Amino acid sequence: MAGLELLSDQGYRVDGRRAGELRKIQARMGVFAQADGSAYIEQGNTKALAVVYGPHEIRGSRARALPDRALVNCQYSSATFSTGERKRRPHGDRKSCEMGLQLRQTFEAAVLTQLHPRSQIDIYVQVLQADGGTYAACVNAATLAVLDAGIPMRDFVCACSAGFVDGTALADLSHVEEAAGGPQLALALLPSSGQIALLEMDARLHEDHLEQVLEAAAQAARDVHTLLDRVVRQHVQEASVLLGD
Amino acid sequence: MAEAAAVVAESLAGYRARAARAVLEQVVLPGEELLLPEQEDGEGPGGAGERPLRLNAGARSRRRVVCGPGLRRCGDRLLVTKCGRLRHKEPGSGNDGGVYWVDSQQKRYVPVKGDHVIGIVTAKSGDIFKVDVGGSEPASLSYLAFEGATKRNRPNVQVGDLIYGQFVVANKDMEPEMVCIDSCGRANGMGVIGQDGLLFKVTLGLIRRLLASDCEILQEVGKLYPLEIVFGMNGRIWVKAKTIQQTLILANILEACEHMTADQRKQIFSRLAES
Repeated sequence: MAGLELLSDQGYRVDGRRAGELRKIQARMGVFAQADGSAYIEQGNTKALAVVYGPHEIRGSRARALPDRALVNCQYSSATFSTGERKRRPHGDRKSCEMGLQLRQTFEAAVLTQLHPRSQIDIYVQVLQADGGTYAACVNAATLAVLDAGIPMRDFVCACSAGFVDGTALADLSHVEEAAGGPQLALALLPSSGQIALLEMDARLHEDHLEQVLEAAAQAARDVHTLLDRVVRQHVQEASVLLGD
Repeated sequence: MAEAAAVVAESLAGYRARAARAVLEQVVLPGEELLLPEQEDGEGPGGAGERPLRLNAGARSRRRVVCGPGLRRCGDRLLVTKCGRLRHKEPGSGNDGGVYWVDSQQKRYVPVKGDHVIGIVTAKSGDIFKVDVGGSEPASLSYLAFEGATKRNRPNVQVGDLIYGQFVVANKDMEPEMVCIDSCGRANGMGVIGQDGLLFKVTLGLIRRLLASDCEILQEVGKLYPLEIVFGMNGRIWVKAKTIQQTLILANILEACEHMTADQRKQIFSRLAES
């Protein structure tokens, strides 16, 4: 891989960040009036929008209803204008289905589904601009949207991606770093207890390096948690000021 | 891999469990754990000699604290499950330790026993009506649950009518059931809501605030026009005034109350009162 140097000698990455540094995160809750819960997040140049409906009646076949917990239905869609080259199919393709499944596994771990048996919670996530770390941005946006909807959750779910270049673990990969072909790992964490909701990697990484990369991703997820915490507190305070507290 | 998991768990900068009293009226987020002020499990009055004396000598040795919406019990702590402000209500009398709950904002209603709600009749099947209350299941309403209804004297309820009733059965495992009579058999304001008027949706937090005893919004609205108004705890409000225009104005004001400060609201009311 000639040309692009992902980590310079002084320890700077392509966009000038340090190895463990996150991109700038901005988030807002309650962006849609008609949905039960919604949130928008920007992680660097990656922009994701999440919308939550529920808990409501099971749509479609009643046979899918679970007698002791709620069904979590996640749909991932990336806009046709989100990548460098225009995408043909925004949703329904293999990658979107797989992402939807991963989001479902992540949120089934965090949402207290046993409080709403025989009902359905819909989480729709759309990526408006994809610059690497789309899974992480989707999970972070969906966490905020679920909180906005008032659905009871065990804890936040914060996610971040991590990679490994030149013996150093990098946190929060951008598209350039992902496309370079090195190992990448996506981690979704429940910060207060330190439990891992989802850990996904489909590349080859020597097991001696795994601990380092995992710790980098976990630390980055905890930093994301600090930021999201601040966003939620501010939103609640604004809402309660208007409600006249 | 085991070391990695241990590293992740040890170095977490997460929330330490805090005393619930220290966090009252503050914003709490899911994942936080709260400690209750008294954790005794009722060893009885004879245990005083084995335990150091507490500062609040008035506390009984067994207090039952009620854990309200937004809190779950895990072990001997309270786990916060929704984001909002932590509130506490002192007990009136007796052995209780009061109620703790999280005041959160929500649009979707979850049926709770005893709540008065406005429902829309969606189907008539046999002896029951199916009523949509905005939750995850339609509630069932028996035709006998109206004042003065007998098997021969059925109530005049059509599909599409608005019903104001209360839940007698509302838990997560069963279909919710509602009735339009109170425990004495009287309607007490419940039943089919009359013709005309407008039904609209607001958030649950706004309804609770409007129904609070010290709410000025309702008094101001009452001074504007004569009106009939019904509040459902499921976020639905039915309003009726003399003309359609007045009804629409009232509906818009109530919907906008959520986003206005008290001053803006007073300005709008004074402008309307002049015109």
